[in-house]
Amino acid sequence: MIEDDIYRTSSQFRLWSYTETSLQSLRANTNAAAIERVRTALRRAREAQQSTASSAVGTPITSQPGSESEGRGNEEKEIDCLTPEEELVFVRYYCEQLLELGETYKPPLPTLVRATAIQYLRRFYLSNSPMTYNPKQIMACALFVATKTENYYMSLRQFADGIPGNTTTEDVLAPEFLLMQGLRFTFDIRHPFRGLEGGAMELTAIAQGNGQPAPHMVHQTPEDLRQGLMSIAPPPVPSSSITDRIGRAHGTTREMLKSAAQMTDVYFLYTPSQIWLSAFLLADRPLTEFYLDTKLGGPLTSTTASTEDPNNNLQNPLYDLRTKVLAILNDCAALLQSYMPLSSDPAQMKNLKRIAKKLYHCQNPEKVNLAAIQKRGSQLPPSGAASSAAADSGPVTSESESDRLAKKRKLDREQKTRNADPFGPELVPDRTKGH
Amino acid sequence: MSATSGVARRDEDEVCPVCKSSRYLNPNMRFLINPECYHKMCESCVDRIFSSGPSSCPVAGCRKTLRKNKFRQQTFEDIGVEREVDIRRRVMQVLNRREEEFDSKRAYDDFLEQREEIIANLVSGIDVVKTEAKLKRYATDNVQSIRTNQALEVEESQSFQARMTLEQEEARLRRQAAREEYENERREMQAGRNDFLLRLAAGSPADAAAIAREGHKVLLKKSSARRSEEDRIRQKQAALRGTDVKRTASLLNTADTAGTTDTGLVKGLRKIKAPEPEKPYDPFDGMVPEKHDYYTLQDYYPSAYLDKIRKDTRMQAGGYDLREYYSRSLMEAFAGLGVSIAEEVAQRDATSMLGRSKPASTESAAMAAVGNTVASENAT
Repeated sequence: MIEDDIYRTSSQFRLWSYTETSLQSLRANTNAAAIERVRTALRRAREAQQSTASSAVGTPITSQPGSESEGRGNEEKEIDCLTPEEELVFVRYYCEQLLELGETYKPPLPTLVRATAIQYLRRFYLSNSPMTYNPKQIMACALFVATKTENYYMSLRQFADGIPGNTTTEDVLAPEFLLMQGLRFTFDIRHPFRGLEGGAMELTAIAQGNGQPAPHMVHQTPEDLRQGLMSIAPPPVPSSSITDRIGRAHGTTREMLKSAAQMTDVYFLYTPSQIWLSAFLLADRPLTEFYLDTKLGGPLTSTTASTEDPNNNLQNPLYDLRTKVLAILNDCAALLQSYMPLSSDPAQMKNLKRIAKKLYHCQNPEKVNLAAIQKRGSQLPPSGAASSAAADSGPVTSESESDRLAKKRKLDREQKTRNADPFGPELVPDRTKGH
Repeated sequence: MSATSGVARRDEDEVCPVCKSSRYLNPNMRFLINPECYHKMCESCVDRIFSSGPSSCPVAGCRKTLRKNKFRQQTFEDIGVEREVDIRRRVMQVLNRREEEFDSKRAYDDFLEQREEIIANLVSGIDVVKTEAKLKRYATDNVQSIRTNQALEVEESQSFQARMTLEQEEARLRRQAAREEYENERREMQAGRNDFLLRLAAGSPADAAAIAREGHKVLLKKSSARRSEEDRIRQKQAALRGTDVKRTASLLNTADTAGTTDTGLVKGLRKIKAPEPEKPYDPFDGMVPEKHDYYTLQDYYPSAYLDKIRKDTRMQAGGYDLREYYSRSLMEAFAGLGVSIAEEVAQRDATSMLGRSKPASTESAAMAAVGNTVASENAT
């Protein structure tokens, strides 16, 4: 299928598609790395504080050595970090906040901008932890970057004024490069919204008797298609006409794509086409199944299916694809249906408050003031090499500028020692296997 | 000497088998033969019998019809050798394949053996009719290549002749130059000595030793200058010869391009590969533009929202075409519908894990993995 091959070339498929297990392990790795960093940062901060305190007060350590060590032990225990699940809930809360933030502007930001910003945030927190960078700071920046990539122009001042609270333009811009790095410099997000419009458009055409059969289903005539559409099972909610039914399903699907599709992991696990079709499936199952049948052929009739004849595929050459797609759509629909807005559930809200309180204690103290870090970073000599290195390495785990430079130097050194051969490594690794 | 004298002695009492006149009576008698039957007869007999057109051989028992223009002088004394040489020449003219036309040395050797067999058959009269028929068929089938090879042979022999004469000419010139050289040297030496003696005679006895040394030096200088001159000429000649060789080599190469077709008689001929006809240029590299697998794009879709745009001249004036939107939205509706991320990404991760062992190749490995999955997807 040529459309599938076209999708396979997108960065969303190449870099931002995961299996459920790889997604989980990625989050676990990010979480573990962040915990490590937070603990060392907190220890460093404490030691700095103690050294200043001791020099100021004099020599209190010698007088009360026991209590001092006890206090340290208590503090070590206190650092209780977030789990990957808690992080996920926390990020999701800020995704929901983003939707509302978009609403506060006059006029409200387009759905596409908000959806893109949410996906940026989700992608960013695959390789970064909320313990390192608070989503509160990243959120505004993600939305601002989204207005730029979605071609919805807004001046920075206008944008910063729209955000409730006293957010300055510097605050918005500070994490911008960091965010881009986290996104691996891929800004293209394939949304299911336009696909939904296309599908609804085609269904309407079929309803009016103008539908064209799919290239693999040439035997169908527009009239056949119309008749088929008329004879499908009635919708869950009765509607006056078939066009009305399509419109209603379209509206429901769109709402679902705006909320459930954004707040769950469907963007990482499924393709946009699958996302909108499974949402459509939830909105109006008979209609969606009819629509899929016009594209991929209907189910095998009982007579041919029972013979177990290998040439029953002649009846529908796309049968294998159809079963595969239906399974994927059902999985995706289940995931979409499982979504519940955090704000609607008081238990979840309580949980969220607990997480926020916990995060207050385990927030990395070195990354709290991003604007200051950025100001310090800009005073360093500009390093194009560092940014390019970050671009081609895997998921970037964020650090400050100097940290990253040090790491890069270390990587370079390692690479040099590994390649002891001055002419570089073997070009064709298989040849060495043969010997 | 003894052999020639023997021939001469035998010639004396040679007798024409037709008119019985002997050389003793007619010392200028010449004997002629005809390759039809190889019977010998004297020139006067040939004139007498065949002047008025073809006639049968006068030798008793031989009923071959002979023509006067075919009569010629015998080259070899033995009539059997004469006949074999004729047959050989005829067969060689037809079966004139060249070594470079064959796939391998082995095939060429087989061909040579086959040719010798045919000649032997014709000489000793085994399967003459069949062999002749074979030869004839081959000749008619391969007129073109026979003619080409004949022309090549002629050309080669001509160029060989030319080269030989050129070499002879060069050798002659070289010899002449050497002779002149020698003469010059001798003359100069003579002149130098004369000069030297004159100066000795004119100068004071005290200068004698100095003058002698000087004269010797002059002679040495001249001879060394001559030697370098000779070297130069020799190099020039060598270069000339080199270009000659090159020219003949290029001539041989052209023989390869002579068109040949495999025939029943000669096996193992090299196939002449005709250059493949160039395919028409395909700008999309096999991809068909405007080809869709999930939907058929229409020119118009009903939509209350879009119909307004359709009628709005402000939108249309800039060249905005709703069909752009149709094609984009339908493409996005189905792009990736058949992609199973769970399967393909797992596969990709597995392959990129292998690639991760190599430094700085993760990205390319991932790309390659994507390419692989695409390829396998297309194959299924």
